[in-house]
Amino acid sequence: MSPAVGPAVGTVLAISRVELIRMLRERSNLFFVFVLPLLLVVFIGLQFGGTAGTPVGVVGDGAATDELVELLDEQGGVNVTRVDDADELEDLVSRGNLGGGVVVGEGYGAALAAAEPFTIGFVARPDSASMSLRTVVEAAVAEHAAASQAARHVADVTGLEASTLVDLADDVRGEVATVTVTAAEVGGDALAEEFAGLGQFDLGASGQLFLFVFLTSLAGSAALIQTRQYGVAARMMSTPAPTPVVLAGLAGGRLAVALFQALYIIVVTTVGFDVDWGDPLATGVLVLLFCVVAAAAGMLLGSVARNDAQASGAGVGIALVAAALGGSMMPLEFFPEGMRQIALLTPHGWANTAMAEIVRRDGGVADVAVELGVLAAIAVVLTALATVTLRRAIVR
Amino acid sequence: MDAVLQCTGLRRAFGELKAVDDVSFEVGAGETYGLLGPNGAGKTTAISMVAGLLATDGGEILVAGEVMTPRASAAKRHVGLVPQELAIYPDLTARENLDFFARLYGMDKGGRANRIDRVLEVIGLADRAGDRAGEYSGGMKRRLNIGIGLLHEPRLLILDEPTVGVDPQSRNSILASVEDLATDGISVLYTTHYMEEAERLCDRIGVIDRGRLVAEGTRRELVSRIGEQDVVRMKVVGDASAAAAACESVEGVGSSDAEGDEVVCLMDAAAGRLPALLAAVGTSGASVAGVQVREPDLEDVFLHLTGNALRD
Ligand SMILES: Nc1ncnc2c1ncn2[C@@H]1O[C@H](COP(=O)(O)OP(=O)(O)OP(=O)(O)O)[C@@H](O)[C@H]1O
Ligand SMILES: [Mg+2]
Repeated sequence: MSPAVGPAVGTVLAISRVELIRMLRERSNLFFVFVLPLLLVVFIGLQFGGTAGTPVGVVGDGAATDELVELLDEQGGVNVTRVDDADELEDLVSRGNLGGGVVVGEGYGAALAAAEPFTIGFVARPDSASMSLRTVVEAAVAEHAAASQAARHVADVTGLEASTLVDLADDVRGEVATVTVTAAEVGGDALAEEFAGLGQFDLGASGQLFLFVFLTSLAGSAALIQTRQYGVAARMMSTPAPTPVVLAGLAGGRLAVALFQALYIIVVTTVGFDVDWGDPLATGVLVLLFCVVAAAAGMLLGSVARNDAQASGAGVGIALVAAALGGSMMPLEFFPEGMRQIALLTPHGWANTAMAEIVRRDGGVADVAVELGVLAAIAVVLTALATVTLRRAIVR
Repeated sequence: MDAVLQCTGLRRAFGELKAVDDVSFEVGAGETYGLLGPNGAGKTTAISMVAGLLATDGGEILVAGEVMTPRASAAKRHVGLVPQELAIYPDLTARENLDFFARLYGMDKGGRANRIDRVLEVIGLADRAGDRAGEYSGGMKRRLNIGIGLLHEPRLLILDEPTVGVDPQSRNSILASVEDLATDGISVLYTTHYMEEAERLCDRIGVIDRGRLVAEGTRRELVSRIGEQDVVRMKVVGDASAAAAACESVEGVGSSDAEGDEVVCLMDAAAGRLPALLAAVGTSGASVAGVQVREPDLEDVFLHLTGNALRD
């Protein structure tokens, strides 16, 4: 290696470091970088991760109801509260204090034991969140009633005493993985299945990660314009630092800003919201590639925009539109088919698709190789483009 | 060869405009050299090439014997540039700004700290070193701008109109520190369109106009180009150009130019010829509202050489 490499690295780091420091000093960034992402993680968590954390009231007594409540609780963070009577339940639901309610009438336990049909009441407001909530409740009920249903079938076929069979089935159930039973029963609703087992904030967190990394990178391109406007970029060219080193330093600064934003969201949501980020290697590579894409996009904007106001304005606009199209504001699974194709025009679309695989289906690097490949290609193209335009902007 | 800077036949055009046209000059060790010229003369263009910011269209630049080009890292080590426009990060403190550029000059950690303290003293910002540069007064920002150029102890310091837009007090302190630097033996290339600054600071002065170096020398040498002549300045009411033209025919008048509502004549033995001069103005249809006779200065030299005023 040439002897110039050491100082060159030092210079690159010096420039990158200053760009990061400046981003952290900008007061308006404090809200956008540190506070807003968390607010939105919580907001999206309540909106779409809703079934998981939604407070659900249950009316009913007896051991069977207790079991059902336990099963409901296990359904992935549904927050169960016991309510005294059906009137109060309806009241709480209609006022929005509860996301929904379950009314277990008298004789549930007896009906289960005897493997008799039984109807459980479901109370909810007429909105889409209630639909998914209902599938969760149905899943719990189905699981609870599985033994009883099986006994009923066997009794019908064999003519044996149903209640004896229920006892038998209960014994057997302890040895069979209950999860499989649940999955089989819930199979009707693909969406609910997709999101089953997700922590309440998992969904919001990854979408917001990509939204904010991109937003901060693009809006932060204003800092790059300032570096030009302040004349500091030109002055750097009067130092012995060669042009490629200065360019690398400025690019490194953009990347440092993107990585900082990503790490902040990952750390805080992991620690504070118990978010599951999946396989560290797969997520690490994905986030790194996305950060390179975002940094390069920021650098490109910072080289073509005329002034810092224009850069941050355009940056915020582009970042929000790309995030919305790319499934960072609403999960891609909720998109109609055509929009899902459009989502793949954004880096967010690929990143969110990969993240869904990693977090919800325990995917590893190999499972998201295509998405990683596409993001890497975007990163290479944008970085090349940004380097050329930035060079033009600062070298006369 | 003790010239710290040698420029030979420098040229640079922007499209059709020849911003710098065949300019040659030298700055010796410890010398302060001034480039004096009006707005748009080509001063910034010339020193941008000297500092390796701008490629030349032709000519050669040697700094401490090394060829300067935009890629010449070695030559750039010898040069400290103080740009005309402030080039500092307002969101960093003075110390952070200095530290940043010290890193760009590849100074090691120990050397940086000492040198930064020293520079902060020189520019008089030691007690405000921890405040953000954006909160400084205009004069303090200028001084920080200069300090960055001094950091790596360059052989050649280039100052591009460092006093423009600065209050008189700060201006004076900037001029004083340039004088101190010169005493310390650093070579300075100083551009200005203020004649007084060139007279006060510079050992030698190059007069630049429309991209060309029209004259060069010490103040004394330049002024003597006008000869043992007096400067007569007449404030006229009426057409100053016509009055200036009329004055050219008066005996002893070397040159006569209109400058705003004034006519400036360079002439021998002005004392005995004032009546003739006033009469000449009268024949042009204008009348004289005031007269001043004095020894010539650089301003007059510039006017004499170019037919234009140094300042608008
Ligand atoms: N990048 C550029 N593109 C086009 N024209 C330029 C450029 N830089 C300078 N010029 C032109 O070259 C001429 C010389 O400009 P320069 O900045 O060198 O003058 P100057 O002597 O420094 O003036 P001032 O005292 O106003 O700073 C001017 O006419 C200017 O308009
Ligand atoms: Mg200039």
